[in-house]
Amino acid sequence: MTLGREEVERPGQVKIVFFPYGKREWFRRGVSLFDAAKALGIDLSSLCAGKGTCGKCKVKIEEGMKGLNPLTEQELKHVTEGEIEAGYRLACQAMPTTAVSVYVPERSRIGKQRLQTAGLEVQVKQLDPFVKKYFVKLLKPTLHDSRSDEDRLLDALNSGYGLPTDLDLDFEVCVDLASRLRDADWAVTAVVWKNKIIDIEPGNTSHRCFGFATDVGTTKLAGFLMDLNSGKILTVAARMNPQIPLGEEVMSRISYQMMEGQKGIKELQAVVVSGINEMIEECCEEANVEKNEIYELCFVGNTAMQLCFLGVYGRYVAFAPYPPVLRRGVNIRASSIGLTSHPRANAYHAPIIGGFVGADNVAVILATRMLESDEICMALDIGTNTEIDLGNKDLVLVTSCASGPAFEGMQVKHGMRAATGAIERVSIDPESLEINYRTIEDKPPIGLCGSALVDVPAELLKAGLIDLTGRFIPEMARETDRLRRGLKGIWEFVLAPQPETATDTDIIITQGDIRELQKAKAAMRTGAEILMKRLGEKRKEAVTEEDISKLFMAGAFGNYIDPENARTIGMYPELPLDRVEFVGNIAGTGSRMCLISKEERRYAEKIATTVKYHELAADEDFQKEYIDALYLPHKNLDRYPDTVNLLKRLGRIK
Amino acid sequence: MAEKEKILDRLRQAVILGETEECAKAAQDAIDAGIEPLKAITEGLAKGMEVVGEKFENKEYFLPEMLLSSEAMYASLDLLLPLLKTDEAETKEKIILGTVEGDIHDIGKNIVKAMLIAAGFQVIDLGKDVPASKFIEKASEEKAGIIAMSTMMTPSLMSMKDVEDQLEKKGLKGKVKTIIGGGTATEQWKSRIGSDAYGKDSVEAVNKVKTLVEEIKAAVKLIEKRRKKKRKK
Repeated sequence: MTLGREEVERPGQVKIVFFPYGKREWFRRGVSLFDAAKALGIDLSSLCAGKGTCGKCKVKIEEGMKGLNPLTEQELKHVTEGEIEAGYRLACQAMPTTAVSVYVPERSRIGKQRLQTAGLEVQVKQLDPFVKKYFVKLLKPTLHDSRSDEDRLLDALNSGYGLPTDLDLDFEVCVDLASRLRDADWAVTAVVWKNKIIDIEPGNTSHRCFGFATDVGTTKLAGFLMDLNSGKILTVAARMNPQIPLGEEVMSRISYQMMEGQKGIKELQAVVVSGINEMIEECCEEANVEKNEIYELCFVGNTAMQLCFLGVYGRYVAFAPYPPVLRRGVNIRASSIGLTSHPRANAYHAPIIGGFVGADNVAVILATRMLESDEICMALDIGTNTEIDLGNKDLVLVTSCASGPAFEGMQVKHGMRAATGAIERVSIDPESLEINYRTIEDKPPIGLCGSALVDVPAELLKAGLIDLTGRFIPEMARETDRLRRGLKGIWEFVLAPQPETATDTDIIITQGDIRELQKAKAAMRTGAEILMKRLGEKRKEAVTEEDISKLFMAGAFGNYIDPENARTIGMYPELPLDRVEFVGNIAGTGSRMCLISKEERRYAEKIATTVKYHELAADEDFQKEYIDALYLPHKNLDRYPDTVNLLKRLGRIK
Repeated sequence: MAEKEKILDRLRQAVILGETEECAKAAQDAIDAGIEPLKAITEGLAKGMEVVGEKFENKEYFLPEMLLSSEAMYASLDLLLPLLKTDEAETKEKIILGTVEGDIHDIGKNIVKAMLIAAGFQVIDLGKDVPASKFIEKASEEKAGIIAMSTMMTPSLMSMKDVEDQLEKKGLKGKVKTIIGGGTATEQWKSRIGSDAYGKDSVEAVNKVKTLVEEIKAAVKLIEKRRKKKRKK
């Protein structure tokens, strides 16, 4: 299902999709993947310019292998047997006759995908991890003191640190306890997780105690190697979620589980675990930490990701009324699902709130301290599903809106993810209609990423090129030839003409693209509106823009968008801009907090039961609010006085 | 005559511009002027919706405009439909429509409904979160030839397959034709589950439904022909 919506055939052509960019296009049959990538401006590395001699342009065929020509002789020189098995080809040698989806691995790219890992740093209430190390010197057994090895250890931990004498001793440790103690000459460090001794290490290793916190996002993974003694981040890694080729968003992943059964469930799990293991490896190497010095791992993901990660069948979470399978935090042995860490390390997945609101949202509430605030706050975690929280210490309501992937560059003609060459900022002079844009790493543009897709409709509106319904104003074609009729007579606007671009076409935004963006922003705005209404009913006094003291914008994308432009198109209620705070990858922050503090973890469990989930699509006002929110900025202009003033000054409305 | 034509044009314009009050007024004027209700619907409202459909196709119109136009049309239909002669109402092809089980999104479905009505079909709307068995029961009960299903979510696509499976089991496959649509439905999914058609938007859905109806009529004719032949023998 990853080849996208329009599955219709085109004679003599093939559809090619490149991941992780999410760029897709039709090409003539027989085109090489290399040429197709070039035409789309994808930064595939190559030294030989596609002759098949350098072996740099290795790509992985995710779907449609059958329609490719057999491996060429050149390829056999560069692609190993294992790689062939895994579906690797040289892009310059592979020529599809049927639709393919192609993954460009990190090493075959010139540019880098921009992955946001940084998030708000929040002081934990108490640095108090579940894993602690205790160095003890035991008394050797004598004829007068013939206590068991076990008691000897427990007594020492009790007298030295006041630990209870009924601690469990993991049986795997019992097996060779006797030799471990004697080999270490009775000076050992006990690794204690909760009430259990999970390892005995020779000598004093108490200064080396590590954990790994992960944010398991639908599209991105972020991992943090943490020093559990100091609570500090040592190293950070990020990856695209390698599950993407198995389904781009959560619904497709759940349906992958459904279609493929047990095999699919295992595959989704194995794939994400391998991505996490890569991050662990990378972080450990950089920080000079051994993988078996990681004693606990913490995971935060949305509900579908939780199920895919734990390998739990998730079918029913996808059907109304969307009941989740699990709700509380889950503890499992990390090694049992193939995570590389200490063999008895615990893996904790934070609790979730409901079918569409997962641990990532628990993390948002945890890290923003919303549930402790006197003032009402709103949090917006923008993604394919956008979670919105609203409330204060009395009550926090949360909802999830199917905003769709338009702002991630999907379903938009020249949309793409935030990678090298993506236009990330656009401005249009409202007088001269002159266009300025900036690309990631200042490379010639190949497409538009999310932050630009917020700018474009806002700038078009301010420049009077589209009206409040989002429609291009045909008369403006007289003012600028950038506004023109494209395919099937549909209006489109040229943002970067071909000579400037790294692709073989102009980079444009079509009327259809604007419609997709309107739908996405309307979904978010509807969520916010309905939460304001429902919270008002619960509090027995209306909640207005005035009452919202803070808007936290979370998520990687949220960090790069222009808050004013986002407000101009009505992505969120009109609040003064100084109340908007960008908090970055706050799911990662929450994951770290749960890793290093028992109290925060307990608090996360409490959040998951306290916050009230509101089902948006079942709300009686949904349809009406959604339609009103499709307008720019909103049907009800009274709600956007500042924006209306601006548009009046520019002469866009009377 | 010119007067009647003017009223029909007002009906068309009111639908295109989504003016509910004007549309109802024009309908009343049509009735008062002695225009046949069926004519007011087909020459007035339906023609207007056709233009609306075109504008939606080239993205000039969007969901709000579609809904406004639908509302305007309904306001008029409320007055005109009760005046249709019974045989006029009954000859209309029946379509069973609904959002499938597991999904509660119905904006798109409602727009398709309006477009189908404008195109002269009788739509039996089962609402949202409709179980497969309900689609089939209703189709049998109403002797409808077409089931139209919508969903916005990926997993509830499976519910469409449920409908196909149950049709198969009941031996109704082919006798009752299906069409699918909605945010996540695709041509590919249509083929995979053995549905008869896929409409990527409301305009395409109506065209496809028309084709299905033609197919059904052709099939019925063929059967009748064969029967006649048999009798002759």
